[in-house]
Formats: sequence, structure tokens, C-alpha cells
Amino acid sequence: MRRAWFLGAGLHTTLGRGLPANLAALPAGPPEPGFTDVPLGEGVERTPTMLLADLPLEDVGTRLWRALEPVVEEAIAASGLTPAELERAALFLGSSSLDVSVSEAAYAQDLLVDPDARPLMANVAMGGLADTLRRRFGLRGPDFTVNTACTSSANALIYADAMIAEGLIDHALIVGLEIFNVITALGFQSLALLAPNGMRPFDPARAGLVLGEAAAALVVGAAPGPSRFRLIGGANLCDTHAVSAANPDGTTVAAVMRQALADAGLTTSDILAVKAHGTASLLNDEAEAAGIQQVFDDIPPLLAMKPFIGHTFGACGLAELLLVCAAAEAGRLPPHPGISATPGDLGLALNQTWAPVGRGAFLLNYFGFGGNNTSLVLAND
Amino acid sequence: MTDARIAGHGGYLQEESGDLTDLKPVVKEATGQAVRRIGRFISLALIGAARCLGGQTPPPETAVYFTTGSGDFEVTVEVIEHLFRDGFPPKPLSFINTVSNAACFYVAKQFGLSGRSSCLGSKGFGFEAALQLAVLDLKTGVVKSALVGSADIVIPPLDAHRKRLGQPPGAPIAEAAHWLWLTADGEGPAVEAARFFTTRADLLAWIAAQDFDPETTLLAAPVDLAETSLTRRFDYLMGQPYHDSGSARAAGAFLAEAAPGERLVHIASDDEGRYAAFTVRA
Repeated sequence: MRRAWFLGAGLHTTLGRGLPANLAALPAGPPEPGFTDVPLGEGVERTPTMLLADLPLEDVGTRLWRALEPVVEEAIAASGLTPAELERAALFLGSSSLDVSVSEAAYAQDLLVDPDARPLMANVAMGGLADTLRRRFGLRGPDFTVNTACTSSANALIYADAMIAEGLIDHALIVGLEIFNVITALGFQSLALLAPNGMRPFDPARAGLVLGEAAAALVVGAAPGPSRFRLIGGANLCDTHAVSAANPDGTTVAAVMRQALADAGLTTSDILAVKAHGTASLLNDEAEAAGIQQVFDDIPPLLAMKPFIGHTFGACGLAELLLVCAAAEAGRLPPHPGISATPGDLGLALNQTWAPVGRGAFLLNYFGFGGNNTSLVLAND
Repeated sequence: MTDARIAGHGGYLQEESGDLTDLKPVVKEATGQAVRRIGRFISLALIGAARCLGGQTPPPETAVYFTTGSGDFEVTVEVIEHLFRDGFPPKPLSFINTVSNAACFYVAKQFGLSGRSSCLGSKGFGFEAALQLAVLDLKTGVVKSALVGSADIVIPPLDAHRKRLGQPPGAPIAEAAHWLWLTADGEGPAVEAARFFTTRADLLAWIAAQDFDPETTLLAAPVDLAETSLTRRFDYLMGQPYHDSGSARAAGAFLAEAAPGERLVHIASDDEGRYAAFTVRA
């Protein structure tokens, strides 16, 4: 059957450059976050961060491409696509902040020369980053920028799968990208959602999120490759409870999970593990915990990848998926030692050990600003 | 596969050349109520969607496919100026609204929708991208009802904004929102196809395979397509002020003038010779 089969991937997070480096870091559990000082007026705002490994926050104007290009090269090389296949492939870019880091750097530079300089005089088209990426790698297929906050790259995969299933394309390059920028950092600071001591999803001590960065790329195709992983179901729904938080009663979270399972033709007993969105914020964890408990009578091993790489926003759809797939292909589930080790006030516990797992189906949750809720069902059997 | 029936269409197009039009009364007139704490971008999305629906109530599972050339310039410029020029942190709601899909949220909330919600972009093919995915979802049964639309705002000073848009000094520019309500079932006008083509040869082969009747088919295309038999032109952009998502207006403009049975073939292209096409049957 024509589905989005995973053919090759690339990943750069705080855990390392390349998918092997990221996989190698998982057994040890989540690392400690760092801090990034952000100048603001006469002062400095200290923000908890998990920045890209081996890529210092310098020369911001070029840093995005220094992160993104190697990851796309890694994915394309691993996929084995021929130049002709690549040329006709579609591009799906999922990102929340796109290249705003580049725009910020340009504006900061312009202000040094002219205090009346205006921002966003270049790089303003929503599709501009995808267009540049497409041209750099010689893709001539359709390009889609999916801008649905923290569900962006998860939704990108759903659309790529739909176009493959319908025979509109044979291959797609899906990219998830989130690069540190001041708007996001101080925006979340203003929302009082940043946690200095790391992310502890569903834990009674949860206090919010850590700003993460990720560049992730996945080449998918209509026919299987060496990996047996493919998307077998997905759903995206809009929760109009609030623009920045899911309905805490869990009904809208449960609805999107149920629709994804139905799309996959599976029941809850078929799911080997659930990757939670797990932002470690008070309200969103409450909503997700309630939703998971409404859907599952017996909750399978529960994973949360944000403690490992921070909240990578529009990139988390793909970055967290690649981490889960890499671990599952190694026959293991990532551990979260000491985080939600036992069920707390929300009634959920996270997987604690580098536990063995067989082949089968996995459910992945993603929720974003704008009431955007997405669940994916992957399988490698 | 069924066509995507056009159950409604409508929008807003206003040239801006000095003080910007006050959108609050327009929002109130279109939606029947004042909507608090929204800026121009979300206002335009609501105006376009409300005029498209024309007082009808879409099913709650209706999906939203939304595109914009550059998103919410107003709030993004405000936030970035506060941060870098003035040294203030962003206001929480302003920060949240820098995410362009906030407009999808307000459209869904206004009309009680809980279906799929997507903010989509593609340089040169933004509306075509949104329409293609909506039509795909309708034809495969993933959704039964879809709102597909655009919003593009203008911010002062206008000369700086023209520069951002790549327009020459003094060029007419507009704020605009154009929406279609598509359903999987029903009779009447329809979007028959929405396709992307990697090369001109692919486009021409597709046009030839459709066997369009030159007598009843109008062609809207910014490029010469002399190889086809389609000689009747439909130029809905002539004399109109510039806005990024101009092609989102094509279907509505065509349906306003077309006789039953006439068909529009709309072609967009980029500087690399890639093409996107959609067809509308009146």
C-alpha cells in the first residue's frame, strides 16, 4: 500500500549532530538544560535552553543554514533517492518561527547603523525559507510550509502521506526546524512558561518548558525502504477552548487520539507505547493526561521526549518522532529516570528504563497554539 | 472521486493608500458582533470567512485551510520593534498571535468549528497549496466540508511595506481576504481539480488530457500558453491593487460573471518554470 514509508533521516538536537549521536545519548536519560542570556534593553534575560550541540549561538545570520543543510544532506544520503527522484520530490517544511532568527539578526544589525531602521524588510514571505531550501537541494516538486505552531512538522507528515497515498507524489522531503530566536525566548518568558530546572512532564514538580532547538529531516516514499517505519494513521483537529491551551477536561485531546487510531484501523491494545506531547506546563499536561486516560483503559509505556531536547516547537513533530523511531528500531524505549517515576496528581508515570520493545504501533501526540491538536500512529511491523 | 463543491465564496479587497481602513465596523457587519482583542490580520480572516459563509452555518467538523503571503506583519513588527529597538518584552497575547495559525483559531472559534486546521504557505503558490490540500482531503473523504482562504494585511508606512512586497514606489497595494467554502456533497459550482506541475511539459500534457471545450473555458494565466487551444482569457487581476494571495480571488471573481457550465482554468507559475493549476466549473 502507498503510504509515507520512512526512507532516510537526519537530526541535529542538543543531544548531538546526526541520528546515531542522538540515539547514543538516549539510554542515559535527559541531560541537564543550560541557560542563554538574552539582552533586553539595558538588562539581560536568562532563559533555560537546550541549544544545538556543537553549534554555538554565534553568527546568527548564517547559523540556521549551518544547522539545516547537513541534516537535509544526511536524510537524502540515507534515503538513497536518485537525483531524478529528488528533483520530483515534494518539500514539506514544518516550523513555528521559520527564519525569524535571521530577520532578528538583520534588524539588530540595521539598528546599529540607523536607529529608525524598520524590521522585516527581507525574508518576509511565509514560503520563502522552503523555497530557498528547495532550490539549494534541487527539488522541483511542490513545496508546502506548514505553520501550525508546535504541530507543524507532524501535520507536514500527515499531508505528505496523503499526497503519496493518492499518487500525487512518490517522494517527499519533510523538514522540521526550530532555531533559537529572541521572539520565542522572551515570548515564553512573558508567558511565565519557562522552567529553569528542566522539563518534568506530568510530574507534580513540573514547572514549564525549556527552549529547545532542532533541525530534523525525513525522506518518505511510496514504497518501503530498509526501515519498516511508516505512518499508518493521523488526525488533526482544532480545539477552540483557548488559543494557548487545550481544554483541560481532556475531551479534545481524546478526540484527536481516537480519530488517529481509527484512521490507522487500530485499537488501544495495539499500541506499544505513547509518546506524549508533554510540555510540562500545568494546564496542558492536565489536558493531555485526562485525554490519555479517557482513551486508554490500560496505558502503555509512556514517553516524553522534551526532557531530552527541550521544546522544539514546530520541529518537535519530526524531531521527537525520529528519536522514538531510532530507539524503537534499536528495540528500546527511552528512559526518563526520576521524572514522573510514579503516578502523581495527573495519574501518569513515564517509562523509567532503557526498556525493550518489539515491533508494532506507536501513538505520538502533539498540541500547539491556535488550538491545533495532532496525533500520529506509526508502525514498524 | 467527487468534485469539491463550492458552497460559498466571498471576501474583502480594499486598496490602502493613506490612513488604514478601520476594520472594526467591517468585522461587526460581517460577523454580526464585535470581536475583542484581535488585530488587522485576524480581522481580515474573519471578514473574509464570514462573507464567504453569508450567514450559513457550516458543519462543526468543517476544516480550515488558510494561507497568507507574510502572516501577521502588524503583530510581528510590533513585537520585534519592542524587543530590539525599545527593550520591552512582548505582550503575551501579541507573542501568541505571531503564530499565523492564530487566525485559523479565531475563524474556527467564530463559526464553531473543530475540524482540521492548517496555516499553509508556498512562495508564489500559497493559495494553490491550501486549495490542493483541501481538495485532496475532500476527495479522499478525510473531510466533508472545508473553508479555504487567505488574508494579507498592510502596515504603515506604506512605502516600506511596498518594499517588503517587492512592489515599486507608489504601486497600489491592498488588504485582502478571499475565502471559499467547499463541500464534498451537493450540486452547483465546483473546484474540479487542483494540481501542481514540475515542468511546463507536464502542465501542457495535463491540459491536453482534460479536453477542455475552448468555447466554454476561460483561461487565467500570467504566462503565454499558446500551445493550448484555450483562447478565451479571464484577467481578474487587471487594474487591481497588489496583495500576495491574489489568486485566492480568482474563483469568486469568475463565479460572479460566469454563465452556468462555463469553466475557469487558473494557472500560476514561478521563475523556475513550475506551475500550479486549478479549475472551477460554474
